[in-house]
Amino acid sequence: MLKKRLIFTLLYSKGSFMLSRNFRLQRVGNADWLNRNYNFSTIATSIDELIILNTERAEDGTTLSHEKFLSDVEKVTKGCFMPLALGGGLTSVDQIPQLMQSGADKIVVNTALFRNAEFVRAAVAKYGSQCVVASIDYRHTQDGFEIYTACGSERVEGEFTDLLAYVADLGVGEIYLNSMDKDGTGQGYWMDVLDQISAIEHLPVIMAGGAGNFEHLMEGLGSANIDAVATANLFNFVGDGLPKAREKLLAHDQNLARW
Amino acid sequence: MTVVSIVDYGVGNLRSVINALEHIGAQAELVSDPVALRKSGKLLLPGVGSYRIAMEQFQASGLADTLMERVTQDQIPMLGICVGMQLMTEHGTEDGGAPGLGLVPGVIDKFDADTMKAKGLKVPHVGFNTVRPKSGSLLFKDLGDGIDVYFTHSFRLASTGDDHVGALCNYGVDFVAAVEHEHVVATQFHPEKSQANGLAILRNFMDNF
Repeated sequence: MLKKRLIFTLLYSKGSFMLSRNFRLQRVGNADWLNRNYNFSTIATSIDELIILNTERAEDGTTLSHEKFLSDVEKVTKGCFMPLALGGGLTSVDQIPQLMQSGADKIVVNTALFRNAEFVRAAVAKYGSQCVVASIDYRHTQDGFEIYTACGSERVEGEFTDLLAYVADLGVGEIYLNSMDKDGTGQGYWMDVLDQISAIEHLPVIMAGGAGNFEHLMEGLGSANIDAVATANLFNFVGDGLPKAREKLLAHDQNLARW
Repeated sequence: MTVVSIVDYGVGNLRSVINALEHIGAQAELVSDPVALRKSGKLLLPGVGSYRIAMEQFQASGLADTLMERVTQDQIPMLGICVGMQLMTEHGTEDGGAPGLGLVPGVIDKFDADTMKAKGLKVPHVGFNTVRPKSGSLLFKDLGDGIDVYFTHSFRLASTGDDHVGALCNYGVDFVAAVEHEHVVATQFHPEKSQANGLAILRNFMDNF
């Protein structure tokens, strides 16, 4: 049986890794700093998958220093032996080989889902659905769930469930559901969103935004609708926080890989 | 530890596998011409993408005949990974089909869509899954009887000769997750993406073959 996954997401911009709270970014340090202060290599041995997103954007929404991003990715992942997903401002299939040369097994697309569907379809056609992760940033309002793109700055018009159906129809391999309201708060995942995702129930769902402790990861993994739980919070899982959380999840019979 | 020669016939990203080998203290070199391949003492055959295209590229590289000679006549150890393992079989049906190297009995075919659908399983098979090594396996030495490793594939080796099975995995049905026959070994999964388990398997390849 396939295992569920514990995923760490690193946010990157202009040579530094970032912490995010409700999508406001705060610089924490470069790759060396990450290893020195957060013992990233320990975190890296406790996860099933690593996602690194470049959050830097030019005015037109594309990323500027792609080469710098990729060389920093290579630096931080040199001692990492798990699948890697890279993304942030991708606009063309031509960018994918370069990402793969830097170790990417998958790409993550967000804004392109709604602005550049041809690119997403072409990426799926060329590299397969397992290669393309659709990242959905959502907010919870009185009227229901709303989807945002462009690093959370632009609302996408339409009903939440219709938009999810549209994204699934692009052929993507999995869905990364990130709550902007919970992002960086450490208050736990927005589990209610699971009532609204029947349109994507045939796809693996990665829950993101809000994990602050072991219980939150446990709650996420305990749901039959969730295939993976992600955290981007370096502070909440600092030091041996994540290895300890993983051990506890396994001790509680969560279906995670053992090594 | 001896040097391991990674057969470089122009497919995919070799960085991860080089990083993993260096991490366990092995010396990895890329080999892209037959002359260099003649000096190799240990081979690693990588591969990604379509079986047919990978095979065509491998044949065109001029490395395939030399590799066969080194493995069958000189009996040097080799490890195939993912499509590298698939190329070692007799035939692959993917993308119009192509003959393989014939080092390993069996045919590479797609997971049966109807069977998988009926079981609610997705193809490709992507993620960590448990493999069951044969008893006495040297590739999985000291790793226990159920080891979690990372897969990403749609095609698989359904069965092979009993004396060629290294490990089985169940994904709706059993398939061959690893081959181990004398000095010829291969994994459908990616040891270089399988955390400490994968590193231990690579170390076993370096130490025990």
